[in-house]
Parts: sequence; C-alpha cells; structure tokens
Amino acid sequence: MFVSSGDLTAAAVRKGVRIMAISKTEIEKLAKLAKLSFTDEELERFTAEFDEIIAFADTVNQSIEGGTEQIRSVDARMVSFDDLRPDEVVPSLPNDKILSNVEGYNGFFKVERSKK
Amino acid sequence: MRAGIYELAIRLRNREISAVELTKAYIDAIEKLNPAINAYVYLTFDTALKAAEQADQMLKEGDAPLLCGIPMALKDNICTDGIATTCCSKILKDFKPYYDAAVWEKLKAQGAVLLGKTNMDEFAMGSTSETSCYGAPLNPRNTNYVTGGSSGGSAAAVCANLAVYSLGSDTGGSIRQPASFCGVVGLKPTYGAVSRYGLIAYGSSLDQIGPLANSVKDAAIVFDAIKGGDKRDQTSVDYDYGSSLAECLDRDIKGMRIGVAEEFFEGINTEIKSKIEKAIKLFENNGAVIENIRLPALKLALPVYYIIACAEASSNLGRYDGIRYGYRTSSYTGIEDMIVRTRSEGFGDEVKRRIMLGTYVLSSGYYDAYYKKACLIREEINREFDAVFENCDVLVAPTAPNTAFPLNHKGDSPVEMYLSDICTVPVNIAGVPAISVPCGEDSRGLPIGMQIIGRRFGEATVLQAAHFYEQSAGKVIGDYEGGAGI
Amino acid sequence: MNYEIVCGIETHIELATKTKIFCGCTTEFGGEPNTHCCPVCTGQPGSLPILNQKVVEYAIKAGLALNCKINTKSHMDRKNYVYPDLPKAYQISQYDEPLCEKGYIELDSGKRIGITRIHIEEDAGKLIHESGLTYIDYNRSGVPLIEIVSEPDISSAEEAKEYAEKLQLIMRYIGISDCKMQEGSMRCDVNLSLRKPGDPRFGVRTEIKNINSLSFIQKAVMAEAERQADILDAGGTVVQQTMRYDEGTNSVTPMRDKENSDDYRYFPDPDILRFCVDDKKVEEIRESLPELPFDKLKRYMNVLGLSEATAKQIFRYRMVAEFFEDTLAEGASVKNTANLIVVTIFSNMDTEEEKELFAIRISAAQFAALVKLADEKKINIGVAQSTLQKMLESGKPVEEFIKPEDLVGISDEALESLCKEAIDANPEAAANVRNGKDKAINVMFGYIMKKTGGKADIRKAEVLLRKLIRQ
Ligand SMILES: [Mg+2]
Ligand SMILES: [Zn+2]
Repeated sequence: MFVSSGDLTAAAVRKGVRIMAISKTEIEKLAKLAKLSFTDEELERFTAEFDEIIAFADTVNQSIEGGTEQIRSVDARMVSFDDLRPDEVVPSLPNDKILSNVEGYNGFFKVERSKK
Repeated sequence: MRAGIYELAIRLRNREISAVELTKAYIDAIEKLNPAINAYVYLTFDTALKAAEQADQMLKEGDAPLLCGIPMALKDNICTDGIATTCCSKILKDFKPYYDAAVWEKLKAQGAVLLGKTNMDEFAMGSTSETSCYGAPLNPRNTNYVTGGSSGGSAAAVCANLAVYSLGSDTGGSIRQPASFCGVVGLKPTYGAVSRYGLIAYGSSLDQIGPLANSVKDAAIVFDAIKGGDKRDQTSVDYDYGSSLAECLDRDIKGMRIGVAEEFFEGINTEIKSKIEKAIKLFENNGAVIENIRLPALKLALPVYYIIACAEASSNLGRYDGIRYGYRTSSYTGIEDMIVRTRSEGFGDEVKRRIMLGTYVLSSGYYDAYYKKACLIREEINREFDAVFENCDVLVAPTAPNTAFPLNHKGDSPVEMYLSDICTVPVNIAGVPAISVPCGEDSRGLPIGMQIIGRRFGEATVLQAAHFYEQSAGKVIGDYEGGAGI
Repeated sequence: MNYEIVCGIETHIELATKTKIFCGCTTEFGGEPNTHCCPVCTGQPGSLPILNQKVVEYAIKAGLALNCKINTKSHMDRKNYVYPDLPKAYQISQYDEPLCEKGYIELDSGKRIGITRIHIEEDAGKLIHESGLTYIDYNRSGVPLIEIVSEPDISSAEEAKEYAEKLQLIMRYIGISDCKMQEGSMRCDVNLSLRKPGDPRFGVRTEIKNINSLSFIQKAVMAEAERQADILDAGGTVVQQTMRYDEGTNSVTPMRDKENSDDYRYFPDPDILRFCVDDKKVEEIRESLPELPFDKLKRYMNVLGLSEATAKQIFRYRMVAEFFEDTLAEGASVKNTANLIVVTIFSNMDTEEEKELFAIRISAAQFAALVKLADEKKINIGVAQSTLQKMLESGKPVEEFIKPEDLVGISDEALESLCKEAIDANPEAAANVRNGKDKAINVMFGYIMKKTGGKADIRKAEVLLRKLIRQ
C-alpha cells in the first residue's frame, strides 16, 4: 500500500499538482450537510480559502497510492469482551439537571417549530 | 524566583500562610491584572474561597495531598459542575455543565482551589487564542503579542502568576505552543494517560489534558495528581508509572539517548534553531548520547493532523443545535432553519472552516482520498516513532517554528497559520508524550520553547530530561514581574 | 404484464438489556420524560460512551440463531446526521465491521432468505409534535438495537410476512427482545423493486419505512408491488424514494423528505475501542442458546409424535413450550399434557400476548400431578379438564380438588364392589341385561357415576358389570 517511506517524502515534495478545485456549489452542498449557512460574501471568501486548505490536504491524497484498504491498524488497542461494561443499572440524573440549561416544559425539551 | 507547588505546600503546612490567604493574594492579582491580560474568562472567587477554607481544614487535619490549598485554573473546555464552561464560543454561551470532568473531580478531591476558567481559542481551534469569543488573552511578557493557543489563557495565567498552575488541553500543540510563547512549562501526556471524560471534544483521537506550570517539577506534581485510567473513558489507560513522577526527576541523564530528527528543524526560525542546538550541546556535555535520526513521514503530519482533527471535529460539533443547551437563535421558520441559524450565528469563522473541512474529507467520494489516507499515514508516522524509540529515550525538537505572533497578525491564509503547528502535531498523531520547556528568548525578548518527546507512557523520562535541562541551563528567560507575588 | 418481486427487509429490534448501550441508564419502558437520562445519552459536551457487554452478547445470540458468521473483531462507527431526536448529531452504529454476517432464515417451503448482516446501534429519542411545538424526550435515546438486514431474496408478500414472523419468533425464543411491533420494539423497513421474470438486473427500488405489524408487511408489499407495476405498465419509471404505508387506506405514499441527504459520513468512533470476542466466548454463547423454535417443532412432531397442529400451537410460545417440557420431565404423558394445554389452558388465554406471557398460577410439577392421574386412568379426561380449570383459577394443587379417598373409591377393587352394589340395587335392570336387553346397563352406569361423582372409568365398569351379571 505504501510506496515506501522514502518515496513518501518525495511525494510530499512533489505536491503542487492539485487534483481539484472546489466549486461554490460543492461548498453549498457541504454547508447543507454541516448545517451551516453563509452569506454570498462569506461564500466567496470561504470558497477561495477552502481551495487552499484542500490543496494543503491534497498532499496527503497524493502522497500514497491506494487508500481503499481497511483503515484499522494491526496493533491498535482493542478491548476484549470480558472488559466491556457490565449491564448494571446506574441511577439516572434528576430531570431538573437534564433540563438545567434550557427552558423545558413538563419535563420535556421544547422547541417552537417557528419563531418570529 | 517565585515559589513552586512544593514550596507553597511546605509553607501551607508550616502555617506560614493559609490557603485562604494564598487564594486572596491570587484573587487580588487577578482583579488587578486580568482586565489587561484577559487570561480568565470566568472567575470563581466565591467557590475558591470556600474551597480554600476547606483546604485549610484538610491541612489542619494533616495528611493533605500536595495540591491541597493551591490556587489554580482550568481551561474553559473542561467541564465544571454548575460553573460556566463555554469553550469560549458564543454557541455555548452561559452553558453550565451538571457534572465534573474526571480531572476536576480528582483535583477537587485533593483540595485544589479553582480561581476560574481560562481563555482559549474557540473549541480549541487555533494557535493564538484569538478565535475566543471573549477576545484574545495577551502575552504577559509583551502585551503586543499573542499567548499562543489554544490554551492561551492557561499559559498566560501561569506566566503572569495569576494561578500557580493550570490545566490545558492539547490536540495539535495547544498546551506546548502557548507554554513556549509565554515562557512556561507545558506537558502533553501520552494519549490515554489522563481521562478525557468531561473534556469538551475537538479531535477525540488526539485530545489530551495536561498541566501548564512554572517548572518541570510542578508539571510533574500536577500530572501525578490527574493521571490514571477512568471507567468513563474507554480510551484511558491505568498505566503503572511506579512511584511518584515528581520524585524521580533528579535521576542522572548520563547515557540517555537523545534523538534529533532533521525534519523537526526544517523551516525553523534560526534564532530558535540555535537555542535548541545549544540545549542539545548541554545534554551532550553532560553525558547524553546524541543520535541523529530520520522521521520522513513527518512531512505529512500537518495535513494528516488537519484532516483527522477536522473530521472528528465536524462530527463532535454536530450536537450544538440549540436544543439542549447553549445558544439558540431568536427567529426562524422551522426546526431545521433554527439549527442552521443557531450554528451559523454561534460558531466563529475558524470553527466553521474546520467543520467544513471535516465534512468534506468524510463526505462520499472524498473519504478514501483524504480521511482514509490520512489514517494510513498516521499509521506510518506511528511506525516511524516506534522505530525511533527503539534507539532513543527521548527526542528533542523546537516546540514551534516561531516565537509569539504580534496580535492581529494576519497571515496570508489560514494555511499559513496552520503551519505554526508543524513541530507539535506529530506528537498528537503518534499519541506520545511531550513537554515544552523555556530555552531562551529571541531578539525581541520573546520566549522560545524546547520540546522533549518520549515514547508512549514515557513521561518519567521526558520529565527527567526536561528537569535536568531546566536545572542545568540556568536562567534562560527573564522573570515575569507581577502577579500574586508569592 | 407480470413482474417478479425483489424484496429485502431491514429489521430493527430493541434488545431487552437492563441498561442502555453506552450508559448505565435504565431501558425500562415509560417513565416521566427525560428521567432515564444522563450526560452520555443526552449528548452533553464532554461525555463519552462505554459499550454494554450484554448488547454484544445478545447480538451474537441473534447471529448464531440466524446461522450467521460471527466477526470476532468488530468496532463502532459514527453515522452523522442532524435531527432533534439524535442528541449527539450522530448515531453510534456499525458500518464495515458488523458483529454478524452471512446467515439465513429458512421458510416452510425450504427456501432460504439470506441475512446480510446484523449490527448493533443506539436508538434515538422521541419527538412529540403538538400545536406549533416539538417536545423531546430522550428516555429512549441510547436504548440498544440490533439491525438485521436481509438479502433481497424475498419474492412475495407471503414470504415477506413469513420471514418477519419467523424472525420474530426466533428472537423471542432466544430471549433477547419481546419484539412487540405495536410498541416499536420490532420495526421493519421493506425495500422493494420489480423486474421482468428472468431479468438479472434489479429495478429501481423504494423503501417503505417503519411498518408496525406482521400483516401490514404483507399488505404493504402487495400495495407497493401493485403501485410499481402500474407505473411500469404505463411506461413510467419508479422513483427511488422513501415511502410510508398507510393501513387506513391500504396504500403506500412517499414520505416527506427527511431534509437530510443520505451522506452519513460514516467513520470509526474514536471514543470506543475496537473489541474482540474470541471463539471460546462465541462457543459459550452458542451453548447458552435454547433449542431453537423450528428444531423444537420438528422434534415435537418426529420424536414426541404430536400432530402438526398441536405441535405448532405449543412451540410458538417459548414459555408454553418450556412448561410443556417441564411437565413431561415430571413424568406426564405427551398426549394428555399437550391436550390439556391446548384445550384447557389456552381457553383461558384470548390473546397472543397472554400466550406469550403464559402467566399461570400452577407449576409444571403441580400440572404433572394432575396429568398423571389421567395417564393412570384414575380420573377420566373430562375430570382432568374441569379440575385443571379449578387449579388454574385458584392456584391450588390437585389434592385440593381430588382427595385420596376419591381415588381409592375408584380403584379396581372399589370399582368392583361398586359394580356389585349397583347390581344389587337394581336387580330388575340386571335381569334385563341378562335377558339381552343391553340398554338396561345404563341404569347401573348411572348408579356408579352418581356414587363416584363421575370419576369412574366407565369402560372398566362396563367390563366388570357384564362379568358380574353373567356370574
Ligand atoms: Mg439502523
Ligand atoms: Zn444515560
């Protein structure tokens, strides 16, 4: 999967050829996924900045071939079945704690579906 | 030299000073200096005085822990029951958690006195603390300069003697870099050495809590007090460090193998480079063995870090939707619209940038090219570190490629700012421990930090090397005048 | 035009663990809103999940019962989407390393419906929309689920129903869930497309979400197949979308788009370590499984010799089957035990639910004591039934209703003396019998039954009477 660590450096140096520039439409699509909205002015600025950040991230993409393998490392820490949490009830917190950071209603969290 | 934790602990036990008196001295200093430095964003003087009274009681009863009655500060992303914890973000405005972070639970039980919550980059995303919604903290050594970040307030509070020590969090250098900018000691422990329970997540696989203090010994004492496995954080490890770390600092460094990787020195400011080289000479002259090593994959550490940290952040920060806590927008047309408005109004630019990048690298069609490859390179970086630590006990490197930026320093782009994390992020990627100790000043009198990196759970060796340097190098930076004056 | 149905079913089943999947909060149903909650299951900043061992065990049980391969190494992923019922804005689920894979369920026809995978994940909270407000209760947030995904092997509405029915039965049997579709502890999503017979390509499919009864599965498949056939017949194309089945109108209609696109940006959850379950543990879990329902059914018919109808009535309910087998273990006969359960005990239970619960007031041992009296012909079956009814109502043992002296009264010797008594008391009738008027024997029968309260074995009495009369 790796070209080799020596080539890794070489690949990093070779950076510069960008695969793709990001379009405004794509930024808008991402914003929708991220539940963010941008004004037109912000969007312009953001698209430009984002282009550069992506170029920076692209050094990773271009440094190695492949990338379709499993991403789990062989020696990553694992936990055995016996060390998982036993199924024993722990008292929950009182409702007023759970709702302590908002105005609730009869124990519920509450959101108006629209607000002027 | 101002008193360290150990000296203060002795004075408290000798009744030369009470915890209440000590706390009051810090409160006075904070009232005087904080308006200018902006290290604290939330003050807890009432609870501090109560805690100090209790600490005095504990001290009277004898057998009190070392940190009992010592005034300290917590970064604003560490949850404190009933005390505001906002990550310096508008979106967590007025947020008061209803539980304590594991580290705070531990310190509280040891009689720690919390003075307040410290300033930081919004959600720990930044290298200057200027993305804080409360405005940037100022570098106490020169208030025209930034503190570094993201734990800038924690570094400034310790530097200005507005706290004896503080806790910060380090995802890509956020303890070590501000420590270096402010001329204090900052320890990023091994990933898993300290419970993350109650630390508001940025990049979960990288985040780690650690101390900022005035000396290596103080950092060791605090690390001793907060380390250990926690059932509530599965990624934590109950590693057996043997006896107290603070007590084995004085071991000789003769024969210690110190690795120096040229990759850490590329593009580093020459003043910094020469100070680090001088420090390396000092180690060598005292019997350490210098090994020149290579870490080729390091070149990719920075983009790998930004991909992984932002991917995790984009997911971790999805929960700020205005429903259960924090800021909620005032007018909207539907719940979806409420969520979008809340997030767009509540998050700052840098946070939005990173959420967007994280969303991008995880989105379908790009996952393999970015996120997956970043994980593969992370493995490679881990392997390189593992291999290096077969032959070295510690690595020595600069903490940052530069000293503190002037305030409002606008780089050409966000990426230029990201480059300042180049020496610190590999450590987070590999999950190994590292400390930053002051090792000189640049021509403007701004502190320079040296980073000492160890193998996983090798904190004892890291602290020992750092302590040796601190004790042998003499006075490398000027004293900060002011603060609590204890 | 004729089409072939290509259908797969995704089933979410709530596991009957005591605590939630990532925290120690109770999974108990009901409770005041937001009272079974903590920082973890309400997604408080700084909280971290800790995986429940029982969830893994139950999912493996399900996998083994459905003939799956168990992945000894597995991990949790985050499925990212924003919705008010999902407090962390991601559901912790499994993506590319599910606990179980490649199993099957065998239909009565012998056809196997493949199980692609079984994974574990967390449930979301509950939203209540009322007069311009949305109320949120996170009591269900973090309740453990398994998602069972079938291959698109189902090719008729009947098969769809049979698949779901069998799945439900097996899950109930192994005790990992009560699988109540009305209460939502079992929910089915049906994927369906049509194609021309013999065409190897799949057509465009739709997904019908959250079907909450077995018969609706059958109806929904029929309705959707018809809907798609109409579109195709008219030369149109089916739109890939999420549908809802309306039981009132028996129709399938598109669901309002759930805003989110389907880009869930799955990635491994960095807060939860990958976990391993070694082969030894899997074997241990396998051994803890009860006999599976369809193995039991076969055994009831082939080994115990029950009729298919009776066997099917008993095996369907795990508690009933257990009671049945416990009674046999006490030495009662198969035939009388099965008969008394199906006729008498079931007549007290009107609903499936009651049979499922099988809350009765007598133990298997007490029941066996009664059955054995019938087996030994000490009482006849009618008496056994009426006595059983009294036992069920009172919870009292058989001795309360049938005294030892009652039984003595109809022992062979007692019966013989009773017969003599009957003949002596009815000389005329006895003479008539002797003279060929056979029906006159009924007079003696009446006498004996009256004296024994109906407990005498009438056939034995007949033999005795004839013998005595002939003497
Ligand atoms: Mg699911
Ligand atoms: Zn909970």
